[in-house]
Amino acid sequence: MKVEVRGQGRPLLYLHPAGGARWTKALEKLAQTHTVHMPTFPGFDGTPIDPEVTARRALGRLLGDYIEREVGQACDIMGCSFGGAVALWLAIERPQCVDHLVLECPGGLQSIDPALRRDPQDEVEAQNRRMLAHYGAEDGKDERLLQELDRVQAVTLILHGTEDRIIAAESMRLLKGRLARAFLVYVWDAAHHIEVDQPERLAAVVQSFLERSDAFVVRYA
Amino acid sequence: MKFCFFHLMPFTGVKEVTADWPTPNRLFDPVRAHELYRGYVDAMVYAEQCGFDWVGCNEHHFSPYGLMANCNLIGGALAYPTKKIRIAMMGNLVPLNNPIRVAEEYAMLDCMSGGRLIAGLMRGIPHEYIAYNIAPDASWSRQREAIALILKAWTEPEPFGWEGEHFQFRQVSIWPRPLQQPHPPLVISASSLESARFAGEMRATMGMVLISDLALAKECIQVYRESARAAGWEPQAENILIGMHTVIAESDEEAKAALAEARKYFDGVLMGGMRSAGRLVLQKTRYYQDEANRGRMQNRLAKREAATMDEQIAGGMILCGSPESVVRQIRRIHGELGNGIFNFTMKVGDLPDGVVRRGMELFRDRVLPHVRDL
Repeated sequence: MKVEVRGQGRPLLYLHPAGGARWTKALEKLAQTHTVHMPTFPGFDGTPIDPEVTARRALGRLLGDYIEREVGQACDIMGCSFGGAVALWLAIERPQCVDHLVLECPGGLQSIDPALRRDPQDEVEAQNRRMLAHYGAEDGKDERLLQELDRVQAVTLILHGTEDRIIAAESMRLLKGRLARAFLVYVWDAAHHIEVDQPERLAAVVQSFLERSDAFVVRYA
Repeated sequence: MKFCFFHLMPFTGVKEVTADWPTPNRLFDPVRAHELYRGYVDAMVYAEQCGFDWVGCNEHHFSPYGLMANCNLIGGALAYPTKKIRIAMMGNLVPLNNPIRVAEEYAMLDCMSGGRLIAGLMRGIPHEYIAYNIAPDASWSRQREAIALILKAWTEPEPFGWEGEHFQFRQVSIWPRPLQQPHPPLVISASSLESARFAGEMRATMGMVLISDLALAKECIQVYRESARAAGWEPQAENILIGMHTVIAESDEEAKAALAEARKYFDGVLMGGMRSAGRLVLQKTRYYQDEANRGRMQNRLAKREAATMDEQIAGGMILCGSPESVVRQIRRIHGELGNGIFNFTMKVGDLPDGVVRRGMELFRDRVLPHVRDL
């Protein structure tokens, strides 16, 4: 599995959306305070498919192996959309690998209207789209994940853009209600890809959460 | 047709005419204010007995123009002595206030009144931004974000955080939540094309005041309807509120004479400082999003100021006259604009409270029976 590592500080594993792995402005900001590990899921962005990894749950286990092997300690996890569902599976399958969990408009909780998905603009995007079928994620919803959400123990920050038309706020409320320790923050004037629409706001709230854990709700002077 | 009895709660008795803003509060007399508040609240409670459907008030700062820095306090005073009349806060100036506080206080009023709140979410008039030291340039972006946050606070069943441009909260979960579900009906000021568009987008009742002519009012209504349709809903007549100074007396002559006298105080004392402060904001900031809107608003105000009383009646800027004349004026404006609510400001300037009360009774006995079914 291809993994890029940038930045300095505590390790942060970033799990990319179905569009592929990209260093966004928000991730660059997070890399100022964290060592960001960004794996590319097998088969995405032109990388080889792993025939043994064919579900988001299996991706979660694969990433657990990576953390145990390369990071060597529990680390913070941030997953966006498709990567959010993978992050949830990682937290379920390998709880010992997960410190804080950040879910940016996570997928897996509801069906997604295919009409809302952008048409692939090139062969890489087309291949990434085909990976949804490979990982059994074409519909978006992962019934098994919904059944197992109660097993997530990590303190979790859920982020949802107020203009998100792909993932409904109802899904975020459901998730928050099911997780043992979760905070839900709406990011104003952001659509589905919050880190592109509002990179400063996203980085600020994520950094605050990762630095201060539950205490991020208390404002400092 | 529905009717709202709206009160500005002006401070009367000021002898000095000033163009300064804020108005120096050495001119304020708290003992007089105590009496005024009592009389004004009594009149607002009496509006229910006079057949009004709504009773309304709003927020202003730093001048005798209106004594409600927080109109929700008056809303609270109205909640228990009234039974059916809807309590219209028109409203809180959301860009200037803490939106969570607005959501909480409105939810309190809705619960206290048994679900009778009409929630006005106003941008405010330009000089109010000086009072609370908020950049007028940011009025629209603050308005949009604050309203989105208020709606979220009313409707979200679980604690949530908000990471915005102007407002940041980590944990919000208001107690109480509103009684009306999913939230109280909204009123948003729509006296300009840009605000009319916004009111439609937000599925709010449009509130239009300071009409300078019916043609421009029609244009705002048209923009409002188009914007509402684009947002997926169809406004009804009762989503269009038209507000104006209203004086009803036994005869046309008596009503016009009373209004002419009261307008001296309104234009001289109440509006003096506000007018100069408002001009300053409009000259120095982008309170209006573009020059066309700024020009349109200034022309509108100039046109109103230049009009004679008869021209104001003919232009649909005010309602004034005998009950029979006011019935004709209401029918004509309704015929032109298709509105379903009139918002009467009957305490104009320092019009004596006895004249206001008599006008309310004339409305009940000789106006309302002829216009209720419009």
